[in-house]
Amino acid sequence: MDEFQEILEDFLVEAFEMIEQLDNDLIELENSPDDLDLLNRIFRVAHTIKGSSSFLNFDVLTHLTHHMEDVLNKARRGELSITPEIMDVVLESTDKMKALLDHIKETGSDEGAIDVGPTVKRLEAIFSGEKASEESRPQAAEPEPAPEPEAEEKELSEMSEEEVEAEIERLLAQRQEEDRRRREAKKAQQEKEAVLMPAKEEKSPASKPQKKVESKPAPKERKTTVEQTIRVDVKRLDDLMNLIGELVLGKNRLLKIYDDVEERYEGEQFLEELNQVVSSVSLVTTDLQIAVMKTRMLPIGKVFNKFPRMVRDLSRELHKEIELIISGEETELDKSIVEEIGDPLVHIIRNSCDHGIELPEERVAKGKPAKGTVQLKAYNEGNHIIIEIVDDGKGLDADMLKMKAVEKGLISEKEADQMSDKEAYMLIFKPGFSTAAQVTNVSGRGVGMDVVRSNIEKLNGIIEIDSEVGKGTTLKLKIPLTLAIIQSLLVSVQEEYYAIPLASVLETVRITPDEIQSVEGRSVLRLRDEVLSLVHLADLFDVERVFSMGEHAYVVIIGIAETKIGLIVDSLIGQEEVVIKSLGEYLKGIEGIAGATIRGDGRVTLIVDVGALMDMAKSVKSSMQNLEDNLQKGEKSSPEDYNILVVDDSKTDRSIMKRALEPLGVTITEATNGVEALNLMKDGSKSFDAALIDIEMPRMDGYTLAAEIRKFNKFKMVPLIAVTSRTSRSDRMRGVEVGMTEYITKPYTPEYLMNVVARNINLNVLEHMS
Amino acid sequence: MSNRIEQVLKKQQEQQKAPSESEIENVIQLVGFMVGEEEFAVPILGIQEIIKPIEYTRTPKTPPYVLGVFNLRGSVLPLIDLRMKFGLSRSKENEDTRYMVIKHNDEVAGFVIDRLTQATRIKESAIDPAPETLNDDQNFIYGVGKQKDKLISILNVEALLKRDF
Repeated sequence: MDEFQEILEDFLVEAFEMIEQLDNDLIELENSPDDLDLLNRIFRVAHTIKGSSSFLNFDVLTHLTHHMEDVLNKARRGELSITPEIMDVVLESTDKMKALLDHIKETGSDEGAIDVGPTVKRLEAIFSGEKASEESRPQAAEPEPAPEPEAEEKELSEMSEEEVEAEIERLLAQRQEEDRRRREAKKAQQEKEAVLMPAKEEKSPASKPQKKVESKPAPKERKTTVEQTIRVDVKRLDDLMNLIGELVLGKNRLLKIYDDVEERYEGEQFLEELNQVVSSVSLVTTDLQIAVMKTRMLPIGKVFNKFPRMVRDLSRELHKEIELIISGEETELDKSIVEEIGDPLVHIIRNSCDHGIELPEERVAKGKPAKGTVQLKAYNEGNHIIIEIVDDGKGLDADMLKMKAVEKGLISEKEADQMSDKEAYMLIFKPGFSTAAQVTNVSGRGVGMDVVRSNIEKLNGIIEIDSEVGKGTTLKLKIPLTLAIIQSLLVSVQEEYYAIPLASVLETVRITPDEIQSVEGRSVLRLRDEVLSLVHLADLFDVERVFSMGEHAYVVIIGIAETKIGLIVDSLIGQEEVVIKSLGEYLKGIEGIAGATIRGDGRVTLIVDVGALMDMAKSVKSSMQNLEDNLQKGEKSSPEDYNILVVDDSKTDRSIMKRALEPLGVTITEATNGVEALNLMKDGSKSFDAALIDIEMPRMDGYTLAAEIRKFNKFKMVPLIAVTSRTSRSDRMRGVEVGMTEYITKPYTPEYLMNVVARNINLNVLEHMS
Repeated sequence: MSNRIEQVLKKQQEQQKAPSESEIENVIQLVGFMVGEEEFAVPILGIQEIIKPIEYTRTPKTPPYVLGVFNLRGSVLPLIDLRMKFGLSRSKENEDTRYMVIKHNDEVAGFVIDRLTQATRIKESAIDPAPETLNDDQNFIYGVGKQKDKLISILNVEALLKRDF
């Protein structure tokens, strides 16, 4: 990379970090204008940015920060007291500074984008308004832990060449000192470059400062950076996360194989060893996953930082007195979520300030303190982070909300009557809903809260509102810690499996079909004192019906915010940690599907999009009744309608079996090995009423075939009859384990075979023999 | 001595260069396969790999020719039945059935084909643009390659991988 570019990037990173702190410091300063430490810290930020930007030739930025520095310096010396008016100007110039830095980040230059003229004039006015300025004195009287402000107080243009040179050296030394701490690893290389550089670039430092760097102790001004840290490109972390994802899949697969092996070789010596290895691999994988997740974690303080400033501006704008109390800013969550959570929080806090907190007079009249408080809390709860926004304002009035919603045609009167208070609160998230009597600059356009909800849902989060009229409102956001790996509930519908994000699953219940009631053509379930609308997952996803609902079905109750529905599935498989994989560009955005994951057995399972599912559920008609008709068709009238599959690799054996079954008059299909047989069954062009299976076969043996067949729900009831010369008890046991219905040992009499088959397919032998 | 080595090297270089240059210019390598009764081909560079059929998972709410998704060493790829895509009945899986994994830029998908035929080299000059009548709404055919005894339709990889639902 170009050396200049590298310095520029370091400068930007550093500058943005400092500014983030700056905002908070400034707000704090307003509360305690005499805090010298604070003032010094603020001054130093302006000063450092000024110094660096002049070095990098950003004249506009230098011009602005220079004037900021003047004002702050004056305040620092006690010649100027910080009033809210002065604060406004200082904050304004901070904003301009941010804008300039953003512009530099994008274009690499600070020219032409932002007009700092008016701001500078105001700064000048403040500066000269008090006293004619003595040219800013270099050394402040206060104890200065940092060495920076010493040398450089003169305008760059006034400096002699040597001075410029010295200034550059000083700045560079300082920068390199920080770099050194930050990037120990890169140090050697960097030095080399630094030595090579002066030949090429005039502005660059001589190799002299290098020596200085070595001898000078690290400045103590920013204790936080002394922590051993290393900057890593986010892309690398993403790659790492993907790899971990693969590993988690591998681990799941290993666990699955272990289960199979355990079943098969119960009590064997090596199982214990295998068990140890599998558990340690699984433990390490989990730890690794957590460790990598942690590297991507950022404290939520990064987002919270901007709110004190925002609330301050809002309170001045709205003429309210509002105090923002932040707690739990050290709570960490995934970087991608931190980036997404900012906007929704801005909307919510604006909303609390604008609609929640009353004007001071109102508050006093109600017997509350004139100053309203908004609390912003973050804390962990299991795999989630909870963010609470609590205000002590006027609270939400459920009846008023309902009325408004009916007025605006968002809900019907009937719906309004049935609504609980909590459901009514959720109305504020409907698009086009606004309770503010008039639209202010701050809120009330009826877009904000709608955006909040969709953003939170995008993060698989849940919103809860609690409120009491006159007391205040509490908004609770529940957000998963990471997006890449989630806990899910695996369910099966006919032959298909789906994963439902566990965060959206409220509960599961087992029901019998007659518990499903019908109201206005829709299936509903009475659950405790609630009536829950039901929808069959098979109807939502047009799953092919191959067997009818058994004695029991399961209802997975899923919910987002205050709405919930029951999803009927055929069975629950269990809870599993899954890695979300995208379906790629080609299949992106299929309705109701959020992504896919690879299961332990290597198959792909789709992850449902709960939000979309709930929307789809509204327009789905139940097809449960149709199924019964289809089943009627399968009625058998003559023996030829029965289809028997004979699987054996020996032609002689197949002929013997065929001959034995001849008297029954059933149709016989032959297969020479397990694979062929399985394909014939899966194929579906013929439905088989029973299968005779040899055990010893090439490609796929009889045990495996039986196990494979039993994996399909629709073949759960098909009689599988093993016909083999293996007679030992353990062979028989295994036959039963994999799901064989009967076990016939060779040699057998033709009558015996015939009777066994006839019994299994419920064919009356005598009747058809005659 | 060194002079001689140079000469030899030079000669070698020339030899290597001469034939390949003319080949690169106008010969395309194609992989031919059957879909239904017709032979098609795609440029070999568009093919990531060809695998035997493996299990796939149906995706709901997609057109019938999108059979589902399958797991190719950890990536989830869509599986498209070319027979159905071309308006034929659904493929019956047999021993010759293959999944052809086709890649264009970042887009990857598997296509079900009935049978592989052969890899051929064909001169670019022997490829005619698709006949106008074929060139309707969906532009799957890149061109028609003329060979001694037959014609072969060369598919447009980019169009195949384009989502059209």
